[in-house]
Amino acid sequence: MWEQYSIGLLFVFIAGVIAFYALVREKDDLHRLLLLDLTEIVGLGIVALLGTDLAEALILPGLVVGIAELLALSQVYIRKEGLRERPTPGLDIEVIRADAPLIISILLIVYGLLLSGFTGGGVAGLGVVFYIMSRGHREKFEILEMASGISWAVWIVAFFIFMFAPECWLLALFLAAIGILLKVTAKMSLVGTMWGGQP
Amino acid sequence: MIAPVPYFILEFGDELVYLSAFTLTLFLFALVFTLFALFSRPERQVDIAFGGDAYATKEISLPEMRFRRFMAIACGLASMGAVVTGDLFNFTLFVSLVGICNLGIVAAVKNKHVQEAAFQYGIVALAATVPLFGAAAMIAASTGTLSMVELWKVTTPPVPAIISAFLVLGVMGEGMAPFYAAKAEMFRAPGAPYVIMCSLSSLLIFLRVIEIVLVI
Repeated sequence: MWEQYSIGLLFVFIAGVIAFYALVREKDDLHRLLLLDLTEIVGLGIVALLGTDLAEALILPGLVVGIAELLALSQVYIRKEGLRERPTPGLDIEVIRADAPLIISILLIVYGLLLSGFTGGGVAGLGVVFYIMSRGHREKFEILEMASGISWAVWIVAFFIFMFAPECWLLALFLAAIGILLKVTAKMSLVGTMWGGQP
Repeated sequence: MIAPVPYFILEFGDELVYLSAFTLTLFLFALVFTLFALFSRPERQVDIAFGGDAYATKEISLPEMRFRRFMAIACGLASMGAVVTGDLFNFTLFVSLVGICNLGIVAAVKNKHVQEAAFQYGIVALAATVPLFGAAAMIAASTGTLSMVELWKVTTPPVPAIISAFLVLGVMGEGMAPFYAAKAEMFRAPGAPYVIMCSLSSLLIFLRVIEIVLVI
């Protein structure tokens, strides 16, 4: 097992050297920002090589922190360059201007609800992303934030049940599944809003 | 290997917080400076025109002041977490949180030079998460645990020096803000007490990583 780990580590380090070399060579600020994302993935690769449950538990916070830093940095970049937001229309395709996105999104969301948990959140989120992307939109961020907050609270409640009333584990499991479904859905739909529109 | 003598260990499963003489001191430092940031008023600079009597006081707008104060307090909380936690991965997360907060404190100033410096710092901080998280993962791979209490036991195999070096490299990258602050623009920027938080938090995480490297 150690041999495999070492070989994997070797490959990840080679990737890291390439990514950092690119970062050193690049002079354009925007391109450096994009290359930073590449180096992030190298870091996640090192974590993933652990190959245990622990790796799974460590990748998620690592990913979130990386994305948070990337978002903060891109805000600084926007401010630094004095860029303004320009309104972008939705996709200008005939099928999409009809009701197709609505139907497809509803199908995806219902299927996501049936799946529940992390995968379900992904599928339902994809539905919301698709809907928001295909419409020129003015989304309400407060609702997404509220959903995110509620899911967090549900999650904490579930953890408390796991710790203090382990005999109700099934309830806690379902609560946690609903929480992560809401959370991932909210996160994914935030990705969709980056398509355009005013925040 | 110098095992500290903790006064008190608080365990949440395998994640834990411990207070030894060293971490308690650092924690109190962070606490005091967070309270300073909470209660102090921002400095208002006076620009004096040479060769005349003219001078002007710079005003700091309320939203900007609020944002920077919030960031300074968040930075204080993150440093408190980083100095008391006994879990290595939590330590790396708190350290990168300190990095984000420092970036926020600096970047809130509406001045082109300051924002340029903040962006360069952000690039270093973001690149430093690679050795930081990488080191934590490799420590888990080589010893099988991330808990400091387990790591300072004699039975746990020692962490290879190169991995400790990666950890230190990561923390240095995250705590790089004061070096960019050495650019005069940052201190000439209004709102002085909050910039101090950058320096203090970097100092605290440097001191803590020294302890960690000595112990594991």
